[in-house]
Amino acid sequence: MIDTWGILRFGRRQRAFACWAAVGFGLGLGAAMGQAPPSSPGVSDPANHPAKLPHLALVLKDEDGRNVLDTGKPISTRKTCGDCHDYDYIANSFHFQQGKTEMNRELLASHGLAPFNLSPGMFGKFSILPNRQLTGPGVSSASDFDMSQPEWLTKCGVCHTGGGISEYDLQDRRFLSPQAKPTGLLDPSYTIRDREKGLVVPWDWGKSGTAEADCFLCHTPKASRGARRKEMAAGDFRWANNATLADTGMVTVQEGGKFTYNRAAFNKDGTVKPEILDLSDPTLENCAQCHGFTAKSATTIQPIQHADIMRGTEKSGWIYNGAKISDTVAPNVVGKEKMNYPWDAHAAKGLICIDCHFSVNNPGRMLHEDAKENLRYKPRGEDIAVYLKQPNHNFARGNIPPETVNLNVHNTMRGCGDCHDAEKIHTFLPYKTRHFQALACQTCHIPAVHFWAYRSDDWGFLMDTGGSRITYRGIEGGIVDPESEVTGYLPAYIPTPGKNGNLQIRPTNLITGVYWFDKGKGRPVFTWQVQTAFFSGLPANGEWSYRPEILKAFGDKDGIIDIPQAVYDTPEKIALIKGLLQKYAGVADPELRIEVTPWAVSHSIVGKGQALRQCTACHAKNSVLRRPLDLNTFLPQNVPVSFRGKQTEVVNFEGKEPTFDNRALLSSFYIIGYSRATWVEWVGWIFIAAVILFSLLHGALRLLGGRL
Amino acid sequence: MNSSTPLYALHERIWHWLQAATIILLILTGFAIHYPDRFGLFGSMANAVLFHSWIGFALIVNGFLGIFYHFTAEKYYHFLPRSDDFTEAAIRQLRFYLYGIFKGEKHPLETDPRRKLNSLQKITYLLFLNVLLPFQIITGVLMWGADRWPRVFDKIGGLWVLGPAHTLGAYLFIAFLAGHIYLATTGATPVSLLRAMITGFEEPSEG
Repeated sequence: MIDTWGILRFGRRQRAFACWAAVGFGLGLGAAMGQAPPSSPGVSDPANHPAKLPHLALVLKDEDGRNVLDTGKPISTRKTCGDCHDYDYIANSFHFQQGKTEMNRELLASHGLAPFNLSPGMFGKFSILPNRQLTGPGVSSASDFDMSQPEWLTKCGVCHTGGGISEYDLQDRRFLSPQAKPTGLLDPSYTIRDREKGLVVPWDWGKSGTAEADCFLCHTPKASRGARRKEMAAGDFRWANNATLADTGMVTVQEGGKFTYNRAAFNKDGTVKPEILDLSDPTLENCAQCHGFTAKSATTIQPIQHADIMRGTEKSGWIYNGAKISDTVAPNVVGKEKMNYPWDAHAAKGLICIDCHFSVNNPGRMLHEDAKENLRYKPRGEDIAVYLKQPNHNFARGNIPPETVNLNVHNTMRGCGDCHDAEKIHTFLPYKTRHFQALACQTCHIPAVHFWAYRSDDWGFLMDTGGSRITYRGIEGGIVDPESEVTGYLPAYIPTPGKNGNLQIRPTNLITGVYWFDKGKGRPVFTWQVQTAFFSGLPANGEWSYRPEILKAFGDKDGIIDIPQAVYDTPEKIALIKGLLQKYAGVADPELRIEVTPWAVSHSIVGKGQALRQCTACHAKNSVLRRPLDLNTFLPQNVPVSFRGKQTEVVNFEGKEPTFDNRALLSSFYIIGYSRATWVEWVGWIFIAAVILFSLLHGALRLLGGRL
Repeated sequence: MNSSTPLYALHERIWHWLQAATIILLILTGFAIHYPDRFGLFGSMANAVLFHSWIGFALIVNGFLGIFYHFTAEKYYHFLPRSDDFTEAAIRQLRFYLYGIFKGEKHPLETDPRRKLNSLQKITYLLFLNVLLPFQIITGVLMWGADRWPRVFDKIGGLWVLGPAHTLGAYLFIAFLAGHIYLATTGATPVSLLRAMITGFEEPSEG
């Protein structure tokens, strides 16, 4: 099918058939060459899923290329999947490298990233949320050491899908290979900071093993992220991919983290039964494991509440779900009775993540670069066999704040305009081109977020848990409490570069971070340093002990620091902590800073019935575009505020609570009905008033003089 | 004055009232655009924008018809000030408005079909019809064409230039209108000038 934009489109049924037919061909060829034999015929359930051919039965191989059933060793995806697919090509993409291949200072600078970041991706970019920094190579002092590569894998490796960063060190040497040797005692690829001892100690890669690319996490519908998390967090990397299959019935976990294979899941010839793995395109649920709440039609929205990672939903509150909000059973969404529409209009129509975030060289989904020029159909397309050998895993994406990840594929996804002809639909809207230039579609089609999201993460004053103070917006009560009322929130609007480079206003959630910055070193103060300054010793029973100076300055008469007291309400209190950072943590020149980070809301799209279409929503004195969003209640005043990496005055302290002030950001937009040239208003009205007053006075005098 | 010859010909009166109606409607729709949340007279801002555009073009058409009429009927000279319209005649007229009118003095200009406008009117209309009205038309058409010729629109400075400029012009229009309506009461009777613009004939001054 070819649409009016000239983009070659296949139905999902056609795509699935084409892809899996080719898979079948490829693997069949492999089987003919002495590998896996062909499997049973295709299965289809037209009522629920498009027809698809199952992936051919596989022999699951270990790192030596032998059947794991025979050896009992962990599955090697390099050997198993890599027989047909180009493993190294795939693992060189962002999902596996997470920025490791973009550790380039010039690249960072060109995207406005501060030099203390190592990469623009998750592996190397500082974020206020975990307040941790990946330590780069060449560190000569333990005081400059925060998060090593092994520690990163234990903390973040559950989502970041193996391969790349969990197979290669920062010098690109494969772990456990003869070349892989630490360069000094502080090589961050071979060490880890021992929190209890405060020392940097060696990491035993021989014991942990490496985690190869976890193909199953995305291609097996029954993937178990939770089981994978346990293995990664325990530093048992080599079994992580097996753990992902824990819910398929194919493997059973044993004591010590090892997995055994259940023979019932395998065919007699040693291949695993196709229905066990059910290998397929990533489903909504696969993507949901790491990216936010996505489901075809779910009335309970709670999986994200095990709160061990920062997902899209937590950052901005979007829900990609085809069920109606009014049908939600849990959590307790306030006012849901009136919300007789889906959480997301696209989800309700059956779209899945890869419909828009596709592999950019998938012939069935790719956008043809010149499609909008003159070609309606580009017959000289990509070869599907090439795609199957080397499917590009740098998935198509947009360019929304604050993400800097995977810079080379920004604005490659299927955007709204690639499916919808907005000009035809918005008949009620004057000046369509201007509106579409100035506004992202989401601005009107996400008028409100009906879920909770992060509001602030305050690392400036540590809680007695040793961690930060986190607050949420859009919820009354705790995020894991089923009784809590989810009120949702109204987004804040900021301008960001659109696909064509022009600034577009789009809805965002704002997460305000407070943190200490080491001006001498030019980087944020490490969390362990802040803990050293705040607490007098290691935690006892999970509770840290504040230093006496802090208790005296911040505590109540009983010496207890409750949340209302943990506030920098005087410059003296900031100075006190600054002194403690200098004295105990060796931070020469610490500075308290505020960072307001916008997280774009791109899902939770509503249709025309619920979209903003009242002109006066934006074109009014109280324009929603200028709507203040409450920030962290406890924000310190008179400290530097940065927004998207630049010092910008975006916090208004004049009200009861600090709020986001986007006046400076929107200054390039003249919004009729809202924007005013003050002098014009003054001059104009003075002129009118003068003429009217003169006329009244003149007329009155005429009247009094009997001359009227 | 020859009572059989109207002071304002039918074409002039139609042109005037059409202009008055379009300007008043433009002011009203303009308010609905400038203060959409406080002035919802036209249902929605989109409606107001639509009406404003159509009425604006009606004003332009009427303006061209007015030009055509005044040239073909050779009446354009009414609007052309002579040199003394800026000096002696203007002072006389100003003195009348500021002093003489309260004393019941005779109007300094005896109007007839060949001399319809006093010197202050000539100066005001010269500015109004040749500066303010074209200024509003140009800024208005440029804004109307924001989607049609975006490069020109942006090159001029976009809404940040055109919006305030058009708004300032609109305020001056309102001020003019207020003064114009008031001064229309300064004839022989408060409604004699108004009646003249309706019937074409003006009552003779008593003063």
